[in-house]
Amino acid sequence: MTQQAISQTVSPPLIPRSSTTTESNKTGSWRFLKPRYDEKTAPCSAACPAGEDIARVEMLVAQGLFKEAWETILQENPFPAVCGRVCFHPCERACNRGEFDDPIAIHTLERFVADTAMRYDLQADIARRPVQGPRIAVVGSGPSGLAAAYFLARLGYTCDVFESMGEPGGVLRWGIPPYRLPVHVLEWEIDRIRSLGVEIHCNHRVSADFLRQARDRYQAVFIGCGHHRNVDLGIPGEDLDGVAEGLPFLEQVRAGNLPDLSGRVAVLGGGNTAVDVSRCALRLGAKPVIVYRRRRQDMPAFEHEIAMALEEGVELMELWTPLEITPHPDGYRLVLQRMAVASQEGPRAQVRPAAGQTQELVVSKVFKAIGNAPEESWMQPPEGDARTLRLANTALVELHGGPLVVYGGDLAALEKSVTHAVASGKEAAMALDTYCQQGWDAVESRISQCRVGPGPSLSMEMYLGGDRCRRNPHVVVFQEINTDYFLYAPRLAQPRLLKEERVRDFSEIDLKISAALAIREAERCFNCGVCNQCDNCRLFCPDLAVCRDDNPQGRRIDYDYCKGCGVCVVECPRNAMALE
Amino acid sequence: MKKVVEGSHAVSEAVRLARVDVISAYPITPQTHIVELLSEYCSDGTLNARFLRVESEHSAMAALIGAASAGVRTFTATSSQGLALMHELLHWAAGARLPIVMAEVNRALAPGWNIWTEQTDSLAQRDTGWIQLYCEDAQEALDTTLQAFRLAETVHLPVMVVLDAFFLSHTYEPVDIPEPEEADRFLPPFQPAFCLDTENPAAFNQLAPPNAYMEMRRSMQDAMESALDVLDAIEDDYERLFGRRYGAVEAVHCDDADIILVTSGTITSTSRLVLRQLREKGEKVGLVKMKAFRPFPFEALRIHTAHAKKLAVIDRNFSFGAGGIFAQEIRSALCNLARRPLVFGYVAGLGGRDVTTDVIEDIYWRTKTSAHPEAESIWIGLHQPAPAA
Repeated sequence: MTQQAISQTVSPPLIPRSSTTTESNKTGSWRFLKPRYDEKTAPCSAACPAGEDIARVEMLVAQGLFKEAWETILQENPFPAVCGRVCFHPCERACNRGEFDDPIAIHTLERFVADTAMRYDLQADIARRPVQGPRIAVVGSGPSGLAAAYFLARLGYTCDVFESMGEPGGVLRWGIPPYRLPVHVLEWEIDRIRSLGVEIHCNHRVSADFLRQARDRYQAVFIGCGHHRNVDLGIPGEDLDGVAEGLPFLEQVRAGNLPDLSGRVAVLGGGNTAVDVSRCALRLGAKPVIVYRRRRQDMPAFEHEIAMALEEGVELMELWTPLEITPHPDGYRLVLQRMAVASQEGPRAQVRPAAGQTQELVVSKVFKAIGNAPEESWMQPPEGDARTLRLANTALVELHGGPLVVYGGDLAALEKSVTHAVASGKEAAMALDTYCQQGWDAVESRISQCRVGPGPSLSMEMYLGGDRCRRNPHVVVFQEINTDYFLYAPRLAQPRLLKEERVRDFSEIDLKISAALAIREAERCFNCGVCNQCDNCRLFCPDLAVCRDDNPQGRRIDYDYCKGCGVCVVECPRNAMALE
Repeated sequence: MKKVVEGSHAVSEAVRLARVDVISAYPITPQTHIVELLSEYCSDGTLNARFLRVESEHSAMAALIGAASAGVRTFTATSSQGLALMHELLHWAAGARLPIVMAEVNRALAPGWNIWTEQTDSLAQRDTGWIQLYCEDAQEALDTTLQAFRLAETVHLPVMVVLDAFFLSHTYEPVDIPEPEEADRFLPPFQPAFCLDTENPAAFNQLAPPNAYMEMRRSMQDAMESALDVLDAIEDDYERLFGRRYGAVEAVHCDDADIILVTSGTITSTSRLVLRQLREKGEKVGLVKMKAFRPFPFEALRIHTAHAKKLAVIDRNFSFGAGGIFAQEIRSALCNLARRPLVFGYVAGLGGRDVTTDVIEDIYWRTKTSAHPEAESIWIGLHQPAPAA
């Protein structure tokens, strides 16, 4: 028999095969666990004092949506170009990727996003209420005052900002040297705040009377005038002619009035001002030495700024404190007392003089940079019987017969940093708006509804009822990330001027990065808790029960067929789903 | 064209000639050379197929089940632990009636680790619904692989082409490799009887309740029962084109034999030599080579052996608690015959131990001089324990 003939004798295969739809079998009835989309809170955003939606920003950068990324930051912070330069980025310490290889370079990406917007002169489309609210006075145009005005303007209020100096910006303009923050960057940000209708009245110093008179013109006053009075050392000779204060020196440098310095210069203190003063002095020809009474690890200055200062040639004398300053033919003679660590309790070591150990230091100039305090007493929340509400970064006071006063910025914030000042301005705006609409008693609970994670960080997007309200406040931890989906990849290194180039002038040290590098870095982000539309849930569903949809999530679960196996939840790389 | 090639590569060449569409495999000694050459053919364009690198043999078979369901020609190769890992999906491939072809290079199972030849791995898969064809040399491996595609696609069952490790897989022999046009004349493109088709959507292999399942299993058995006739017809075509045929069972000098050696795989070649030597001495000995194990060639076996006095079955495999697997099956094939030979079951060459002409001759003389088998299975060549001091 031929094979053809044989083949005819082979019966056709009998297999289970059905041409009718299987949709009649509603496998959803088998389900006893239910998956759902459940976006959560990324640790970076909870650690950001301004509560920026960082996981979403990085997702947008990875997708090349730079304008949208920039606008996402602007929801929470009016200063992405400033903070992308000067923030101490606690977000990166909290980054879950740090437990995998290295944290995402969030700081560098924030600056990239803002610089891209600046380069193309983009106009932001940000949620905003119509202008209708009452007028608010803002005292001080530093980061907290401008942030308060920005958020209040978005909430529909008209703001008058009063600034004693000739130009706005406060510490951003006068306290931070140009190698960290070029002035054109600051002006670009301030112009955007002005474009919301915020009036900034420069050369307008506000007095204690202002508060009394404000009631007629303003519903409320925000006081964010910072700390401008220098703290004294309390040692002989500190008032000698030529023993200078740190902040005025920085102001002078900012104004372009550059003194010639030479030889050894002593900078007394351990904060950011001391480091900035020493680095400016270095650029002006001096050989600065920072004299600090505790150790390097106890210095309140940002560690990366200290490291760069030392790299550039600044000298650091730890555990020395000045006893007296006297004139000397070459300038000044400092008598320094050796200090010893007495106790390690608290965030900084406690020190005491080490008996008998002193030394002399001869320098050409002395700068004092040991701290600042409010200039006048009315700039602080009053003690006593005034009705007061202390929030994380602001203090609300209902003065008898006066308007509501909100103290913010350095006067009330948890920490003295630009980003805390922004957080303070935001909190003040929320508090003022709630106070105006619902009264004093509603303020605390309304604000607590806008928390990003368990800490004090607040979200204006949440306050305005945006998509972030749907996020679960649970902060995603590393163990909840499905790391099978991530490869080790080196962190983007911030490109910088060589140290030899840095010390020649006040040029910005941190250089720009390309879009390609930014995208590659953003792609490293786990996007903890935030759906980045990877579509794993749909691809892995064995029942085709995850369907594309027009809703903001982009897909929905068809519970008629979802058996509740949980594959979608397990295969979600970023814990943006839940099984319950 | 005749070329000296490795046994593994004879299989690879057949797969190339079969113009397979999808190959999916995971490497395992002693199979690796087969898919290694095929991956080169895929990458240099000699073979226009998709080569899927997978993370396990289980996935290799799963991928082929998917590909074959979509109606394309598929191939994989494995050995030993790899085949054992595939086990679940071997049932699926057969039950889904998918004409997948697999080269299985016999290798002993661990522990202890052993990469050498033994048939227990493939014989342990005897109930999965796969056709199993055991090859003796490289030429047969090539010819059988090419035929396997036509057989599988005709009866809608997967086919396992089985080779001994090293003795066949790694030995170079002259092999006549057909030209592509000749191979095309023998093996037309695959025309699936059914496949996934978006124009004609259907669900496959879903629930088969008790009132449907049994008929499906009977359909598989019908296909198995037709497979030997189909193979015979395929071999007719093959012989016409290439001048070679093998048969599900090959009988040598069986007509007048009192004792018949029954072998499979490369032991057959060695046995042919012993047979010649014994015949020269006037011994009335024959040889039956078992090529087909599934389906089991009951009819041919009975015809060739029924008149003999004794069968000496050499098993390079073992079923613990029972015996050599070929011997068991042969006993059961003969048990209802009124006149039947005594079946002597010998176990030799496990874990790749050499089965030499001396071993086979020893088996012959033992069989001849014993009135009855001394045991259910007689283990040949076991090392004696050292005598106590």
